[in-house]
Amino acid sequence: MNTRSGAEIVMASLVRQGVDTIFGYPGGVVLPLYDEMLNWPQVKHVLVRHEQCAAHMADGYARATGKVGVCLATSGPGATNLVTGIATAMMDSIPMVALTGNVNSWAIGTDAFQETDIQGITIPITKHNYLVQNVADLPHVLEEAFYLANSGRKGPVLVDIPKDVFTALTGADFPNEVQRRGYKPSADLNPLSFQRAAHLLKEAKKPIVIAGAGVIWSDTSDALRELAEKCDLPVISTLLGLGNIDRNDTRSLGMMGMHGEFVGTRAVQEADLVIGIGMRWDDRLTGKVNGFAPKAKLIHFDIDPSEFSKVVETEVVVPGDLAKSLPEFVANADSKTNAEWWTEIRAWQRANPIVVPDDKKFVARHVLHKLNELTNADAYVSTDVGQHQMWTAQLYKFRNPYQLLTSGGLGTMGFGFPAAMGAAFAHPGKEVWAVVGDGGFQMTLQELQTAVENNLDVKICLINNGFLGMVRQWQEMFYDNRQSHVSMGSPDYGKLAEAYGVTFFRCSSRDEVEDTIQRARKAKGPVLCEFLVEMEENVFPMIAAGKSNDDIITDPLLKQHELVEAGK
Amino acid sequence: MSTRLHTISALVHNESGTLNRLSSLFRRRMFSLSSMNAGDCEQEGLARVTMVVEGDDGDLRQAVRQLNKLIDVIEVEDLSGNDSVQRELAFFQVNAGVESRRSILEIAQVMHCDVVHLEPESITLQATAEPSRIDQVVALLEPFGITQIVRSGLVAIRVKN
Ligand SMILES: Cc1ncc(C[n+]2csc(CCOP(=O)(O)OP(=O)(O)O)c2C)c(N)n1
Repeated sequence: MNTRSGAEIVMASLVRQGVDTIFGYPGGVVLPLYDEMLNWPQVKHVLVRHEQCAAHMADGYARATGKVGVCLATSGPGATNLVTGIATAMMDSIPMVALTGNVNSWAIGTDAFQETDIQGITIPITKHNYLVQNVADLPHVLEEAFYLANSGRKGPVLVDIPKDVFTALTGADFPNEVQRRGYKPSADLNPLSFQRAAHLLKEAKKPIVIAGAGVIWSDTSDALRELAEKCDLPVISTLLGLGNIDRNDTRSLGMMGMHGEFVGTRAVQEADLVIGIGMRWDDRLTGKVNGFAPKAKLIHFDIDPSEFSKVVETEVVVPGDLAKSLPEFVANADSKTNAEWWTEIRAWQRANPIVVPDDKKFVARHVLHKLNELTNADAYVSTDVGQHQMWTAQLYKFRNPYQLLTSGGLGTMGFGFPAAMGAAFAHPGKEVWAVVGDGGFQMTLQELQTAVENNLDVKICLINNGFLGMVRQWQEMFYDNRQSHVSMGSPDYGKLAEAYGVTFFRCSSRDEVEDTIQRARKAKGPVLCEFLVEMEENVFPMIAAGKSNDDIITDPLLKQHELVEAGK
Repeated sequence: MSTRLHTISALVHNESGTLNRLSSLFRRRMFSLSSMNAGDCEQEGLARVTMVVEGDDGDLRQAVRQLNKLIDVIEVEDLSGNDSVQRELAFFQVNAGVESRRSILEIAQVMHCDVVHLEPESITLQATAEPSRIDQVVALLEPFGITQIVRSGLVAIRVKN
């Protein structure tokens, strides 16, 4: 074995792991790595405009492919700029490897120029992290980092590498196998748990499934659909789980929770059995916990045993990787039908659809409704955070896993655009849309330049309501409509697009929506579509924070809808 | 559920950031950690950490599961039960002039404390005992004036399987 430098080992590791694209930004201590990079054309490096976006792009790349996303930053400010992106990935269990440079190992601890304790800073927001002090450790650390990021409950892993470790030479090679004593990617299956779960399901009259992103990351959509078919089960998806079942499947009820559809939220309140699969009973879903699913027994499937009984008490827990446990459960469960239960569900569903208003007003829902229709619900869609995010979740009928990219756990504004770019880098030639608000877009729009330089096919659906809409809605509903710092000015996006060299369309009425979207779809490279919508629209249904899911506030427009339904 | 002290022992990889990760977990999840003690163990590269956590049974269960989730942690056990032995080491520096010295030495003898240092005006004692017994020693010495107490926190070992 020849000796290699640390920088060579990093590049060799990326190639070994099948990484074709990394997102990064150079600086003093990573110079040796950037120099080495020139010798490795098989790894594309995307030069971002802010390291936060390198992390979000790596995250988007991962969410759109199921593969590990990789980002890279220099020490100090470069590393700290990654923090929001790493925390975003952590909250949503996204496989990511973040590489940072640090000052020379002998200078660590001396407050050297651009030194920061990124290992200490990221302890609570990584699955694991490393400071590599010896180049001989680098091959196995990198191998382990990818393994940890992408196994068990996935998550971001950070590897901090001092400058002298990049240049030091070693004969050490990659291990053939990664073994980490004490690390168990997933708990063992418990055969008894399948029987107990199957028994509860057999007895249940009103069973319902809430399926999360675990189904996506374990590639078990098929098993979920089989289960739903075999046992005639209604399936709700969590926000991050959207796409785990085809939204057009008759058994899919869409999302539930704070801004979920009425039908799912109601059905869970009436159910006698709730089966949580690859999800974690997030507070945005359960509402006030002791008012959640009051009539139901709960079954919980998850790969991470620390999620059991963390939020809710469950009747049966089914530990283990869904890839094994879900097919096993399907095999154990008796087929059944729940016709009466479905009659109730269909009635709630008919009476409480997500309403797309029919009057003259031009609202975001018109745009998302059309986007769904015109893209055949088949595009990769990222969202930012706010009202537009919830409308996207409600109206875009996600068909496949890995299709929706949204920051669920952390709710990171500024995520949408760079995440979509990550997806576009991963899937050249595929249709990728970023649905963003005027607030969030202004947090990371500098990446327009990165998109232009790469002639990236990414389409931005900018919902401009002149407000931090979601916060304005809360102020309207819970603070007597006292608007405090929620009015949001914007630059002239037409001029901005021109300055960057981005194709631009502006749309200010309902009649132009279809044409705008179609023109954007035909255009090559980055496209910015600005939709100037009604300023003070609200997202419904809504359950106020801390309230029980029984206290769901439905859309005032539903009254009109009922009249239409009744033929009046 | 009632709150009490639980003793948890963890076998961990002894690497950069390990103790940081353990303590960060307790702080972040709002588990109340009353002591944490780490040292080398019988296996090279590994350390054994004894932690005393205050909380109800649910907190304990979560703490154990969260600890298990850390990549550094190899195994975790709850050592609160009867099949373990628990000890704490403590030093006491007590004011001890000529008049009080004899009484203090008597207490030391009865309570199985060692005299580790003598000065004309003070005595330094060492005790290795269960925490409740150390509390008792503190109470007995207090009237003489204790100028320093150093407690190690608990270490525990499983003695029966
Ligand atoms: C980084 C960050 N800062 C603040 C918030 C709080 N927040 C949540 S939604 C929202 C408003 C978003 O406004 P906009 O991007 O215009 O989207 P809209 O709600 O109008 O669709 C804010 C400020 C956040 N989620 N993330």
